[in-house]
Amino acid sequence: MQAILDAISLGGTYALAALGLGLVFGVMRLVNFAHAELITISAYVMVVTNDLPLLISFLLAALVAALLAILTELAIYRRLRGTGPAIMLIASFGLSVGLQKSYELIFGALPRSAAVAPWMTGSFEIAGLNITISSIVTVAITIVILLAMGYLIERTTLGLQLRAAATDFKTARLLGVRSNRLIGSAFAISGILASAVGFILVVENPQVDPMFGLNITILALVGIVIGGISSLRGAALGGFIVGFILSILNTFLGNARVYAYSYLFLAVVIILLVRPGGILSKRNEMERV
Amino acid sequence: MSKNLAGLTRFSARELLGPLMTVLVLSIGVGAISASLQLAVQFALCNLVMVIALQVFVGNSGVLSFGHGAFAMVGAWVSGMSTASERVKGNALALQELWQPLIGFKLNLYLSIFIAMAVGAAIAALTGAFLMRLNGLAAGIATFALLGLFYNFFFNNITLGPGSQALPAVPKFEGIYEPLAMALIAIVIVYFFNISATARSLRASREDLLAAPALGVSIQRVRWIAFTISGALAGLSGAMYVHVAGTWQVQDYYLVFTFLTLAMLVIGGSASLWGAVVGTLVVTAVGQILLLWEQGKSILGIQLDLPNGARSLIIAGSLVAMLLWRFAGVTNGKEFKVPFLGKRRSS
Repeated sequence: MQAILDAISLGGTYALAALGLGLVFGVMRLVNFAHAELITISAYVMVVTNDLPLLISFLLAALVAALLAILTELAIYRRLRGTGPAIMLIASFGLSVGLQKSYELIFGALPRSAAVAPWMTGSFEIAGLNITISSIVTVAITIVILLAMGYLIERTTLGLQLRAAATDFKTARLLGVRSNRLIGSAFAISGILASAVGFILVVENPQVDPMFGLNITILALVGIVIGGISSLRGAALGGFIVGFILSILNTFLGNARVYAYSYLFLAVVIILLVRPGGILSKRNEMERV
Repeated sequence: MSKNLAGLTRFSARELLGPLMTVLVLSIGVGAISASLQLAVQFALCNLVMVIALQVFVGNSGVLSFGHGAFAMVGAWVSGMSTASERVKGNALALQELWQPLIGFKLNLYLSIFIAMAVGAAIAALTGAFLMRLNGLAAGIATFALLGLFYNFFFNNITLGPGSQALPAVPKFEGIYEPLAMALIAIVIVYFFNISATARSLRASREDLLAAPALGVSIQRVRWIAFTISGALAGLSGAMYVHVAGTWQVQDYYLVFTFLTLAMLVIGGSASLWGAVVGTLVVTAVGQILLLWEQGKSILGIQLDLPNGARSLIIAGSLVAMLLWRFAGVTNGKEFKVPFLGKRRSS
């Protein structure tokens, strides 16, 4: 039971990370490696402002992450639009390393730690099952955010534009979608999602170092591709699947759990070979790059 | 990938001599300045071979590959494990659980490098048979998964290698001439591949994924050939690296290595062999200059006191800046012809 709850909560966290990446990819075909540093900076902000009330500390983190996301868009990605995904991917990696090194200069290379929301590390018992509070809270946060994102994407004008842009950016522009504003909003939302991920991670592991967000971002990237990169739902689903599989593998592999990533990556290759467009893709369409 | 239709079509000695002479002159010239620069040149030559390996596949096909780090990792492992001293393999702390037959296994240095190339090619051929069906981002992520898989395996496996620790006492090259010769051979191989019909078909598929098959190009086949050749060269690069560093460690062939070499390719201009050479040169030079500044030395009378750690920040920053300045790379996909040699073709 705890294993399944853990898997769901990890899957949910990965889904949030994947959704943030998928949003940005949808509007500008950018695989944003620097999403990791958005997660990291929000975790740093929460550790540094740990004395403030939790809600304020979190809002500050979300604000900083969203601003940083918009800043990277304005300073770098905007000027690389239309150069092709490979160039933008390499640029985002450069940015990612650059930000990591900046964090190292600002916060030091050693981990900074603080007990963020210590009450969440406790556990309680239901029907003889020991359940940690953090896994419940994580699942709750994930569900709330996914519902909110679902509402935003399905019911609002911004969401309509995001979906339109993810399907066909050029046509969406021709129909009057303001590309700069839309891309800016996508970056801001991805920053906020990154801060939610940062919060969940920093509760589980309060040791924040410059590489804090890297692991989950890489795996979420893998997730959005296997889920189906052309739709946000696919991205979130793919992220969830990766987190879920990883957590289950960690539980059931026993001593062989160090090889969990090997099995995961093998599964990824097989899924991509069977369905190159991702699990949610309907047919084998060629990517328009 | 790009609107640039650059690429070699027919043999021209001046185009082949361009990169060859540049690498030869710079390596020997810079290597002669000091011992630390000589070592830097050796590492740069390893990176150069990796970058031209990437150029063969990524540059010609337009498909991103993060998997080449895996071929380099295995190539280095083959060559390092088969040349490290038996005494060390039997006694080193990191190798307590090493599989017995591996301890006594010993090969000649050059033979081991050749086998490393063959193994790199074999793994690329095997995985490429499946992976070459994929395009775009799916291909990028699948090759990344390949890298992750090999990394995870070697990082944790202590029967075939040192796991997360280092395999010590791998014999080193004696100077820059051995890696230099290997790099020059690699350039020649890639040059002749790039002017071949196969490479031209591959570039055609890069420019138009739908028109190329209509003209009779089997995309999967030409990609597979390029992937296998570049796998061999990546294996060579790894094998060279292990004999320059004198030690094998799985972390050396993971994310930083993969992205640094990809960045070199993109900065130089992925469409040409010359771009691969220039990219390696530019990134290495920037890194070296910053390293000297970080150590408080002056270059051409300029002395900056960089704080520790600022170097990687500036390298990353200049990478991004170079992409903003010229996204098709410094060379813009052009080849370099040695001037004043033979007749100029009026084309």
